[in-house]
Amino acid sequence: MKRRTLIQTASGGALGMLAAGWPLPGRTQDRYAKYRGQTVVMSIPSHPHYDAMLKLLPDFTKQTGIKVETDRLAMARMKDKQLLEMSKPSGDYDLVCYVVMWKGEYVKKNLVRDLDPFLKNPALADPDYDFKDLVPRYVENIGLVGGPKGYLAGPGARLYGLPYGAETSILAYRRDLFAKHNLKPPETYEQFERLLPEVRQKTGLGALTSRGQAGHQCVHAWLLHLNPLGGKIFDDKWKPRFNDAVGVKALKFLKLISDTGPVGIPGFGQGEMITSFLQGQAAMYLDSSLIFGQVKNPSVSKVVDQVSYVVHPRGVRYASQSGGLGLAIPKNAKNADAAFLLLQWLTSKAQDKAVVRIGGVPTRTSTLADREMVTLYPEFITLRQQIEYSDPDWRPIIAEWDEINIQALGVAVSEALTGKKTAEEALNGMVPKVTDIMKRGGYLKA
Amino acid sequence: MRRAPWVPLLYIGPAAAVMAVACLFPLISALQLGFYDWSMGTPWAEARWVGIDAFVAAFRDPAVWRSLVTTLIFAAVCVTAEMLLGIALALALEGDLRAMAFFRTLFILPMMIAPIAVGLTWRYLFDAQFGLLNALLGVLGAAPVAWLAQENTAFIAIVIADIWQWTPFVFIMMIAGLANVDTAVLEAARIDGATWWQTTRRVKLPMVMHVIAITLLMRLIDAFRVLEVIYILTFGGPGDSTEILSLHIYKTAFVGQRLGSAAAISVLLLVVVATLSWGALKLSNPLKEGDRA
Repeated sequence: MKRRTLIQTASGGALGMLAAGWPLPGRTQDRYAKYRGQTVVMSIPSHPHYDAMLKLLPDFTKQTGIKVETDRLAMARMKDKQLLEMSKPSGDYDLVCYVVMWKGEYVKKNLVRDLDPFLKNPALADPDYDFKDLVPRYVENIGLVGGPKGYLAGPGARLYGLPYGAETSILAYRRDLFAKHNLKPPETYEQFERLLPEVRQKTGLGALTSRGQAGHQCVHAWLLHLNPLGGKIFDDKWKPRFNDAVGVKALKFLKLISDTGPVGIPGFGQGEMITSFLQGQAAMYLDSSLIFGQVKNPSVSKVVDQVSYVVHPRGVRYASQSGGLGLAIPKNAKNADAAFLLLQWLTSKAQDKAVVRIGGVPTRTSTLADREMVTLYPEFITLRQQIEYSDPDWRPIIAEWDEINIQALGVAVSEALTGKKTAEEALNGMVPKVTDIMKRGGYLKA
Repeated sequence: MRRAPWVPLLYIGPAAAVMAVACLFPLISALQLGFYDWSMGTPWAEARWVGIDAFVAAFRDPAVWRSLVTTLIFAAVCVTAEMLLGIALALALEGDLRAMAFFRTLFILPMMIAPIAVGLTWRYLFDAQFGLLNALLGVLGAAPVAWLAQENTAFIAIVIADIWQWTPFVFIMMIAGLANVDTAVLEAARIDGATWWQTTRRVKLPMVMHVIAITLLMRLIDAFRVLEVIYILTFGGPGDSTEILSLHIYKTAFVGQRLGSAAAISVLLLVVVATLSWGALKLSNPLKEGDRA
């Protein structure tokens, strides 16, 4: 390279960085310089938060010189592909988005990296990152593995991923309809139970939309009510207790939701459930906080200015969902350091706000408290309160959960929803199968 | 000139070897996998030998038998309907009528669509709130039906989707078969005063019986392997009412991470399909000269 060309390139790069508003000399430049020209390959789902993220990636490349390729798959097919890639000696992915339920399995199979060495590496870590600003409940639920029960915060827990697309459950309701019919959003499950038929009768719409399709979807819907009502899947010794009186009560409540809700709930996946509310077929929605951005999007929502939010009603306790998505670096990543830089950039304070502005969900406490963000999303005030009630033990995030969730409970709950079996019959009928799975997993004595 | 005995082997050998490897390797691998407890994402060296446990467990698992029954009913209903419709359509459109090329093209379109797209399309059509079927019912003044939320209607939904997609295959096979029927025989039947129905039943269909048998065989095998459309439409629900065996195998392998058990159930599926295929070939085996009309 001629000297003139070199100078031109250098000054052009510096001007570009200035134009991008990026601090020039010293630490930032050094952090990325080594990885300029590398390509980080990301496995991501088709998901509103990640759709928003895609719009930010060109900025990352512009600021750092690191390119990003994304492999976007339907959520349900993503895990198969990731397992295949991550089990090869050298995989194609440098950064993977995972659903919270998979974290235990990925760590147990030694497929993802501990993030501590990256965060402690001064050559990579951003001193302004402010890790403690990440919503602690999200970090615990999505990132920590190895603590109490294998997935909670506490002794032995290590960080394997960072939340990105995390969520909790929140109750959304049609402000206009509730005002018109003089209805009040429920604060407790007793009020909730009385309200469902009343809303149905007064508005003529489905009272509450819900997931209900066999497998993960209907179990998710049932867990939304099981936890606040005081239930759990297992007792402290991993013995199934989901069929106790609380489990049955929660399932009967879900059946009531199905009977008073929009037509077809036992066939609803997450998409149908959300669409039903956004298209004005249901008066209430109780599920992921992911809905905020979609309600405001007129291309998918007919209820743009008609929705208010309150916290997930209380049963014997407040216990809203903890879940959503996170990002981890595979053990066999070719560009692990560059992947960490991307992960750090995406979850930084500035980019957290940036993704929220374009329809993503917040990951940081500072974003939830930011005046501009709260003006844009007043519902963040409710969300801040809701996160405090988010239950990190909302479901057992053990490696066996997927099988229990989809092949055992996912059948039982669905059968109760369609009326093929009573709630008691359905849940009792699955105890032997779940016990077998837990014995196989070594949680119970064979 | 006398041909050396190794010459045919030389010609056929490479193709036979490739076929043997391509067909037998996965089969033997599946069989081998059935004797191990192995989870995807872990080294094969960590796979645990479990002997015939997975096969025994598969036979004892009521979910496998429920799934097999669902599969048999699904295959019987779909394949029967597809064969009847496909043959009827082929007979109706076999002539040299105007616009026939257009109809033929139109009828084979569903077969060319990716199964995932077929599943999504039908999922929208059957949607309880916004689906076309319920919109039509609404026009007629009927209440909306939760197609995918009730066991019977969900089963009907997967059957309709399969018939829609695969009847064209039967149609194409039969059109090709009927085109090869000797016109002299048909002419003779006509001269003898045979009606259209008599000609069809006693001349055409017996002459294409080997095509029917092969088509039946291929559709049977496919009906046992169908996965994507049901995965998208119902994911096996409500309950496990539409969980056919291939979906059960998929869930066992990729949800339960029990690849050995999934392989064992696959072997069971193979036995069932092989038995049914043998039955279909008994109907008319095109590989046997004597069976040909």
